[in-house]
Amino acid sequence: MALVVATVAFVLIHLAPGDPAAIIAGPDAPAEDVARIRQSLGLEQPLHVQLVRWYGRLVQGDLGQSIFLRKPVVDAILDRAEPTLLLTVSAIVIAALLGVPAGVLSARFHNTATDQTFMVLALLGISVPNFLLGLIFVLVFGVWLGLFPVAGYSPLEDGWLLTLRSLVLPAFSLGLVQSALIARIARSSMLDVMREQYITTGRAKGLGERLVVYKHALRNALVPTVTVIGISFAVLISGAVVVETVFNIPGLGRLVVSAVSRRDYPVVQGVVLVIAGVYMLVNLLVDLSYLIIDPRVKYQ
Amino acid sequence: MSAVARPAPHAAPSTASRMLRVFFRRKVVAVGAVLVLLTALVGIFAPMLSADPGRMDVASRLHRPGAAYWFGTDDLGRDVFARVVYGARLSLLVGVAVVALALIGGLTAGLAAGYFRRLDNAIMRVMDGLMAFPAIILAIALMASLGPSITNVIVAIGVVYTPRVARVVRGSVLVIRETAYVEAARALGVTNLWIILRHVLPNCLSPVIVQGSFVFAAAVLTEAALSFLGVGVPPYVPSWGNILSDGRLYLQQAPWLVLYPGAAIMITILGLNLLGDGVRDLLDPRLRGAASEPKST
Repeated sequence: MALVVATVAFVLIHLAPGDPAAIIAGPDAPAEDVARIRQSLGLEQPLHVQLVRWYGRLVQGDLGQSIFLRKPVVDAILDRAEPTLLLTVSAIVIAALLGVPAGVLSARFHNTATDQTFMVLALLGISVPNFLLGLIFVLVFGVWLGLFPVAGYSPLEDGWLLTLRSLVLPAFSLGLVQSALIARIARSSMLDVMREQYITTGRAKGLGERLVVYKHALRNALVPTVTVIGISFAVLISGAVVVETVFNIPGLGRLVVSAVSRRDYPVVQGVVLVIAGVYMLVNLLVDLSYLIIDPRVKYQ
Repeated sequence: MSAVARPAPHAAPSTASRMLRVFFRRKVVAVGAVLVLLTALVGIFAPMLSADPGRMDVASRLHRPGAAYWFGTDDLGRDVFARVVYGARLSLLVGVAVVALALIGGLTAGLAAGYFRRLDNAIMRVMDGLMAFPAIILAIALMASLGPSITNVIVAIGVVYTPRVARVVRGSVLVIRETAYVEAARALGVTNLWIILRHVLPNCLSPVIVQGSFVFAAAVLTEAALSFLGVGVPPYVPSWGNILSDGRLYLQQAPWLVLYPGAAIMITILGLNLLGDGVRDLLDPRLRGAASEPKST
């Protein structure tokens, strides 16, 4: 799979109609500049040679050289990774902490006002794009109420409290939307489990409703919920790319968007590959987590 | 003349009309259909509903919403109502075109991978490779290569969602190709192409239609996100994402630049989600019984 992903990332840069070096250099660039870029990217080689070299460089952790930043792409990515990582982790914590209880409560109080309120909110939640929610948060909590900074990011070296404050609005913009999805899945998997016979047996032998719901039903409903939390983490990494633009956070999202406008293809390629790698890693961890959550699951 | 009178054609409701009745019995689905229809009508009749979205009235820049400009004006004095209305047209175009592209690509790849075992591994590895990239990241990377234009946005988002359709189609085809009627067709010497078109394709359309409704919503959202980031349609094209991107810079002075296009996106996506849920419930045999009864949510 990693090989296929690396190949797709390689192909992306070669999709541009015409000479990529000429596109990167711009329409008025002198021929020498175009030739220099072509050489620095190795574009003068046949395509299969370029592909093999690309694999070779990847194995050594070399993603190439940024044309605009004039430094290795790996360094550019590492410089910008902190805000994206913290934003994604905060957002997934918010999404899980809000989504799972909302889904569980909805299922427990199925077909009541509580259930309907949570599900209407969840439906509205999945219909709001995260960047729109971010703009509304900036307007309400930043501009009108002045509670949080409207933009920017305080790095961890300035103190974690400042970092946390700068991440509250972006993390909620990302996390709230995803919590709606988690709530819907948690509710439906809880409802499925609540119809199982062992739940009826638990009730019949006199177990309290809380014990039945939170001990017996919840654990068994966690497999699909953890799956969606894992998928959410992967979705949030890409969501962070958009939300970083709303809040002007200097993370991987800003890096890749600036690289697109500067036609800095090696950076685009590098960021895309790293995010895809993290995405695959998270999916693998989600698969492995089933072994802990559900003892019936066994991998050969 | 036969002793048994044939029923009049209008006496028994057709399957389609019965399904439609079941479909719209759930109020939320009807609400979704109305919201989507509203967006579609606004998009189709945009030239009759509003002025030229590109016309600049510099003297009226950042004008508050009122009688002259219902949704106010932007920093260049352009009518936000006109831009939102034409934005609906663009969203509709992108949604329809992406669904068509993703369905054509996904059906072709999925049918080939599912029916011909020799092609399965090669096709699905490419599809899995594309799916390993988060949607918006892959779309950004494709736009970086293709350059900003409406066609390229459609192509980029279409490529992103093709593997999702292909995977669903392949899953269905793997089951259908083992059925007795396909086996019988093969035994009769029917060609593979005819079996695929006549027997396999019609039987794997239900999940594809459901997937298509969600791809539509995802395409509208992705287009808005790409345009918001400045890597989607060119800035002069009225798109909800472009209006939001401009509005971000004037959030304090002109919040209407965010609120109106934002509401348009929300209404459209809400409608598509409700409609998508309804289509899924109707076409999924496990949920069909539930769909025939009014639901609480």
